Amino acid sequence: MSVAVNNLSVDYRGHGPDLHAVRDVSFTIPPGRMLGLVGESGSGKSTVAFALMGLLQANARITSGDMQIGGRNYDLTKNATAPLRGRGLAMIFQDPLLSLNPVFTIGAHLTEILRVVAPREDAGRRRAMAEEALAKVKLTDPRRRLDQYPHELSGGMRQRVVIAMALLAKPVLLIADEPTTALDVTVEASVMREICALRDELNCSVLLITHSLGLVTKYCDDMAVLYAGEMLEQGPARAIQLRPGHPYSRLLLDCEVAIDQPRHEPAMANSFKVIGGELPDLRAPVSGCVFAARCDRAVADCAVTVPSAVRLDAEGRHSARCLRIGVS
Amino acid sequence: MAFLLRRAQAALFTIACVMLMLFMLVRSVPGDMASIMLGPRATPELRARIVAEMGLDQNIFVQLWLFLTRVVRGDFGEDIISRRPIIDIVAEVLPNTLILAGTALFLSLVFGILLGLIAAKSRGSWADSLLGLLSVAFVSTPSLVVSIVLLLLFSRALHWFPVAGVGDSGDMLDQLAHLVLPATALALGWIGYIARLVRAALLETLTEHHIRTLRAYGVPEWRIAGIYALRLALVPLVSILGIGLGDLIGSAVFAELIFARPGIGSLIFNSIAVRNYPVVQAAVLIIILIYILANLAVDLINSRLDPRIARAMREGRQA
Ligand SMILES: Nc1ncnc2c1ncn2[C@@H]1O[C@H](COP(=O)(O)OP(=O)(O)O)[C@@H](O)[C@H]1O
Ligand code: SF4
Ligand SMILES: [Mg+2]
Repeated sequence: MSVAVNNLSVDYRGHGPDLHAVRDVSFTIPPGRMLGLVGESGSGKSTVAFALMGLLQANARITSGDMQIGGRNYDLTKNATAPLRGRGLAMIFQDPLLSLNPVFTIGAHLTEILRVVAPREDAGRRRAMAEEALAKVKLTDPRRRLDQYPHELSGGMRQRVVIAMALLAKPVLLIADEPTTALDVTVEASVMREICALRDELNCSVLLITHSLGLVTKYCDDMAVLYAGEMLEQGPARAIQLRPGHPYSRLLLDCEVAIDQPRHEPAMANSFKVIGGELPDLRAPVSGCVFAARCDRAVADCAVTVPSAVRLDAEGRHSARCLRIGVS
Repeated sequence: MAFLLRRAQAALFTIACVMLMLFMLVRSVPGDMASIMLGPRATPELRARIVAEMGLDQNIFVQLWLFLTRVVRGDFGEDIISRRPIIDIVAEVLPNTLILAGTALFLSLVFGILLGLIAAKSRGSWADSLLGLLSVAFVSTPSLVVSIVLLLLFSRALHWFPVAGVGDSGDMLDQLAHLVLPATALALGWIGYIARLVRAALLETLTEHHIRTLRAYGVPEWRIAGIYALRLALVPLVSILGIGLGDLIGSAVFAELIFARPGIGSLIFNSIAVRNYPVVQAAVLIIILIYILANLAVDLINSRLDPRIARAMREGRQA
């Protein structure tokens, strides 16, 4: 059963007007598939992730949105998914150096997760399950790792520990928020392989958040392009790569080609910088297309008319929000 | 182990310095030592005994050597007044002080951590504000004042607790009843201080990424705060406990005087009053020894709490 997010909007309160970080975002992830959510820094990717987990900062308000998961519907504005944490939802974080408690062993972390997901098992059995999970994510010498502390492991190894936590939680939806951004490029491929292996073993839906198009085109089935809190294009990764419907996606993919790096490397490079201009002010009301200020195809109408999604394939899986689709 | 050795060396060095200081302090009092110590009690025999015992008629280095070699063997000489070994006099009252300071420390930790935890978890609420106010009041009232207030209120006026002494040696309950007020007086300031410290450390820790990780996997909030965040928050707390114990023993001197409890504090006070320097020397040295041991224990506990400290210590870095 697919995981579906509908009409998610998130505001941040602070001094001055509210910051509309995410506006009316919807997407669907079928089981066993990985959706790559791409966008430059500040486009609202992490906000989407934490909104689904019910782990947004105190000054955030989810103003609309619900999520269908496991055949049931949850109202995100009421933080209804909080009880699903560890029981259907799991997450992998951006900075593995910070995401484990420095004064507890790897084993303590994993068995704590098992208290939540396998409350009936005894301590010995939990330890065995933890060791098994570490072996599954290909951490060498798993038994010894259980008694080691996070600082004794490298960044890549720590990220595997978090992946092992996700593996134990057996989620329906796994969210990975820039899981390789803080890591060395050389371990990026191996960490991504473990995430894919986890997806295949559990047949779960995966939301991969990244600012690297290379990562998406290499590992993801589907792709969604987020810009200034709005979804601009979504569809099968291959289809977007071949025939981008939105000028923003096209510019991104052009940069990718122009830079001409091996597919998995640009995770470190930030191709968004190549496009001139900056993200619009998220506190100001949006009129027309959010991308208008930076768009090379913009016309007068773009500043006033809000584009709606245009279907780009027969099945209705690929769509983009641009007024000038089909207009040459 | 190498780290332990290094710490032991440092401790030995400190002790050596303290002994030297004590030795010199006593001897730096101008005038004739024996007459100063004996005052009006001075008789020719007593004088002769002191001079012989402390080697006062000999060269200063011989005196130092005599002093050091005796102290190392735990021999502080014989008390001129009671003619009992000084070490016995100290050992007799030491447990009272240790029990008092230990109880105060225990109270400080239990209530300080508990109140800190409550304040952090109810941050911004009226409970938090109230605890904040109380803590500051506790911290800023000297234990001397608290002692007197408690004594007047609960012993003199309400007769809930006994006024003086340590209680019957065979009667646990009686001893406990005698302990309540002085231990509370000593602990109150530290309860306030620890509550503030734990609250601040917890609030900081609770925003860290690894806490979010646990939340993301559905770990209950009370386990996150009470186990995972608290353990990290305890590291700065344990670091100050060495100083804390020193402070507690220091304030115990006053509490012992006010509540008329026999203990190291009252022993030092009374011995200074009659210029019985050898007893002062022994008592001070014992206190310093306890202080050093406490700090050693603190380092060990911290290295158990935080493996990164253990590693830093092994590698000889400043933890
Ligand atoms: N707690 C917060 N308070 C106010 N603004 C925030 C907060 N967190 C994020 N933002 C803002 O929301 C926008 C989206 O942030 P984020 O979701 O972290 O983007 P991304 O993950 O794509 O880099 C940014 O403009 C950021 O500055
Ligand atoms: S609507 Fe206009 S501004 Fe927006 S992407 Fe299309 S052409 Fe560019
Ligand atoms: Mg982010």
